[in-house]
Amino acid sequence: MLRYLAKRGITYVFMIFLTTSAGYFLAVSSLKPALLEQERIPRPTPEQVANSMRLKGLDPDLSPWERYVEWLTAILTRWDWGRSPNGAYINAEFGDRVWISTRLFLASIILTLVIGVALGVYSAARQYKFQDRVITSYSYLAYIVPAPIAYFLVQLGAININETVGERIFFVTGISTPGMEPGWAQFIDMLAHYAVPTVAITLVGWGSYQIAQRQYLLDNVNADFVRTARAKGLTRNQAISRHALRVSFIPVAQSIAFTIPAIFAGGFFAEKIFAWPGVGSWSIDAISLQDVNAATATLAYGSVIFALGAILADFATTVVDPRVRVQ
Amino acid sequence: MSSEIAAGPVEQPQPAVERLHVADLHAPADAILSVRDLNVRFNTENGVVHAVRGVDFDLMPGKTLGIVGESGSGKSVTSLAIMGLLPTTAEVSGSVRLKGKELLGLSDKAMCEYRGNELAMVFQDPLSSLTPVYTVGNQIIEALTIHNPTMSKQAKEARAVQLLAMVGIPSPKERLRAFPHEFSGGMRQRVMIAIAIANNPRVLIADEPTTALDVTIQAQVLEVLHTAQEETGAAVVMITHDLGVVAGMADDIMVMYAGRPVETGAVDDIYYNPRMPYTMGLLGAVPRVDVAEKSSLVPIEGMPPNLIHTPTGCSFAPRCPLASDACLEGEPALAPVAGPAAHRAACIKSGSLGGDVDVHDVFAAPPVPVSRFDAIPREERSTVLQLKDVRKHFPLNKGALLKRRIGTVKAVDGLSFDIREGECFSIVGESGSGKTTTLLEIMEFHKDQDGEVVIGGISNKQAADGKTRSAMRRELQMVFQDPTGALDPRFTVYEVLAEPLENAGMNKADTKKRIMELMKLVGLQPDHVNRFPNQFSGGQRQRIGIARALAVNPKLVVLDEPVSALDVSVQAGVINLLDKLRAELGLSYLLVAHDLSVVRHISNRVAVMYLGKIVEIGEVDRVFDNPRHPYTRALLSAIPVPDPHLERTRERIILQGDLPSPLGTPKGCNFATRCPVFAALPAAKQEKCLTLEPPLEHVAPSPAAQTLAADPLPALDQRFACFFPDGELDEDMLVVHESADHHAP
Repeated sequence: MLRYLAKRGITYVFMIFLTTSAGYFLAVSSLKPALLEQERIPRPTPEQVANSMRLKGLDPDLSPWERYVEWLTAILTRWDWGRSPNGAYINAEFGDRVWISTRLFLASIILTLVIGVALGVYSAARQYKFQDRVITSYSYLAYIVPAPIAYFLVQLGAININETVGERIFFVTGISTPGMEPGWAQFIDMLAHYAVPTVAITLVGWGSYQIAQRQYLLDNVNADFVRTARAKGLTRNQAISRHALRVSFIPVAQSIAFTIPAIFAGGFFAEKIFAWPGVGSWSIDAISLQDVNAATATLAYGSVIFALGAILADFATTVVDPRVRVQ
Repeated sequence: MSSEIAAGPVEQPQPAVERLHVADLHAPADAILSVRDLNVRFNTENGVVHAVRGVDFDLMPGKTLGIVGESGSGKSVTSLAIMGLLPTTAEVSGSVRLKGKELLGLSDKAMCEYRGNELAMVFQDPLSSLTPVYTVGNQIIEALTIHNPTMSKQAKEARAVQLLAMVGIPSPKERLRAFPHEFSGGMRQRVMIAIAIANNPRVLIADEPTTALDVTIQAQVLEVLHTAQEETGAAVVMITHDLGVVAGMADDIMVMYAGRPVETGAVDDIYYNPRMPYTMGLLGAVPRVDVAEKSSLVPIEGMPPNLIHTPTGCSFAPRCPLASDACLEGEPALAPVAGPAAHRAACIKSGSLGGDVDVHDVFAAPPVPVSRFDAIPREERSTVLQLKDVRKHFPLNKGALLKRRIGTVKAVDGLSFDIREGECFSIVGESGSGKTTTLLEIMEFHKDQDGEVVIGGISNKQAADGKTRSAMRRELQMVFQDPTGALDPRFTVYEVLAEPLENAGMNKADTKKRIMELMKLVGLQPDHVNRFPNQFSGGQRQRIGIARALAVNPKLVVLDEPVSALDVSVQAGVINLLDKLRAELGLSYLLVAHDLSVVRHISNRVAVMYLGKIVEIGEVDRVFDNPRHPYTRALLSAIPVPDPHLERTRERIILQGDLPSPLGTPKGCNFATRCPVFAALPAAKQEKCLTLEPPLEHVAPSPAAQTLAADPLPALDQRFACFFPDGELDEDMLVVHESADHHAP
């Protein structure tokens, strides 16, 4: 098993290297930070611009290949991912942003999964009954409504509550109130900031898991092996929960592992709307600010998260399905 | 089986309550399972399907009841109704009593006390009946835990090992930890039996337990069921469509048709003295593997009725050659016939039927067709297909990124044979023996193939351009196993048949004429050409498939399991058609089939394949009557014959284990690992089998015949590849069921 995972790991490292390199070439040949510099007032001379860029390691006069070699050497020798046109260090910025994204999404991912799978099982067991129709209709609705609109609706709801109560209970944007004393008050403040984005992302997210889990379980409810289990003397519900559930979880486990990276690296709507400056919004900003190194770094981060998700999917499948266990 | 249950007059059916009351009085007190007036209805979009209509039977302890019927006759639904495993939408009425306790109407929870404990079941498809994510041991132990919550873990494990050993799984202790996918189909069915007998059930229901398995494995599994019954003393309900399977096992038989029992009685009465035309037809429709004399099979025309509409007369009347107006007035009740008390049939004419009535007369079986080639000696006919040393090896690789070869699967390994004009040549063998690969190699017809394929004088070596290939395709056509999958559902029959003709460049008027001709040729109504395949029954679809193959007038038709997807009564019609076409059109067939009775019936020559090699080849009667290779002998002895006396007394060879993995075959004879002769040989001779590959050699004419003849006799048309064909058979692999063992005549 470990050997197998190691092998997969090596393959993915190679793939990450390829995508990141390709991304760097694309960024370096299409993003021109020097042009933005010229919009400054007073307008700097081209020499000044080139000079300032050179100091940040973004020399526009070098060929893409020369810059690539320089960039790669810096990463491999010093783990230095370069600087932004405004002079900020990618490494420092990156650490902050990843932490913010993770904090924003971690709780809602876990909630999404647990609620989605549980509701899927619950509704499958009551197929075509009232509860199933309500839950599944909601899931399809959540599927259809664009995420930003759903986020805004939740924000409006939170504001409504605040107004009704006449006191500010929830923060609809931001990470924390600056200048809080560490301790209980800070913890309450954090919860108040957390609640709205977490609820919003969870409400939108669980629908797909609910639909998938319900579908896969229904596929297995009448399987031959469930009938065998009943013939042994289990009741229908026991047979389903002991035999069908685990089999139906195999495809769901795989899809979970693949959706996690998408949320981590691509949640820029949530980050923008709730004003949590994470990786997602950074990757969009990097492009508009012509920031070669930041764009490449977010791309690399996305690839790494994706590879982790794929390995996780392999691992999860292997755990739940003995048929794919590697000898 | 109890007598006198539903014998009320037809005109005034008794109300169900009264029937049940009468039935209760007459039900034998010692019956372990009594079923009375069982009715099952399903609500479907098209209406209420009355799938089971009044099934009555009594099962005595330790006895075996065989329920025989075609698909849709309601036999599986009956068994699921007894087990309480039908979907909740099914409407079940009547009475099912296990040791006098009523089971119908019990809640799912209350039924659980009986299911898997006193009442156990083995299902048809072993591949999907075990949960893939749990170990085999886990699943056996679960059955023990449910009914014996106090049993200790060690005791359960010991019992599981004991059960696995009982059903014949080698090294049972280690195998407990194996997952179902690590087991072959036959082994999984053994595990299913182990689970079913775990709690010593009083009643064991087996629903087509061997239908999905190869004959050799079927023989093994039937043997295991026999042992299981002996060990537990359970009464068995054996559900099957194969009259051969139950002939040797059952004490009583119930024949079902359109949801009703149409004939019940002791096994001998049913087989030797059938009183219902449907039973007679079923018995006449199956070819016999043990009979050389060729007579046409009995086809039962038409198809079973749709159970949405309640039949007003006898449900079999539309297909029955004896039907008269009286048959259409009310459904005949299951009434006792003259003779043995327990023998009952639902036919108003049962009095005039019996063992002395020839089924061929009743059903007007067509005469045996004679081909114009039959009179010409084989050597003088031209060759339509020749294979010379054809091989197909697949590399077996390991590793994901860098593949390395760890072995070779020799799917087809040096095959040579030829087919002459007007001849039917069959290839038989277990799944995995390379039959289908052989067909694919012939159809492939590429010059880079290993070995030479000559079709109608065109060799794959000399020309491989499009023109030669299409000329070859006109010589050779194929009929596929699954008639439904082989026809495009969006094509009308006309389009299906026109396609090959248009390809051959025929104009519109001729195409139309030819299609009408073809429809008549295969026994379909020409005005049905504008229908879609789904408007035809399975047998008719296969006829369309045959018509499509014949459209371009090929010389050779390749038949890949042409009747295995069809019910017996329908199968007979298709086989008769194939036989007729061969004679009338002078066709040659290359037939691949796992059903040796069909092969014996239709072929002239046969080749037995084992792991990619021909082990015995020759004239079909010679090979079947005097098999020389131990594998042929085992294969033939594994086939159940629909003759209870013969089944009970004959000696059979039960091969051990499954087809070996291609990596585990010895250098010498492939079959050595399972060979009953090899197992009994002294070590010195075994060495020869393991190191040398036996060549295909002619059977020498008997010395007596040799000395009588003046000139040396020509070699017989039978060759086999074995060094010790006359060797003793290993006693462990021989099984005889003495008639006293389990049957009173």
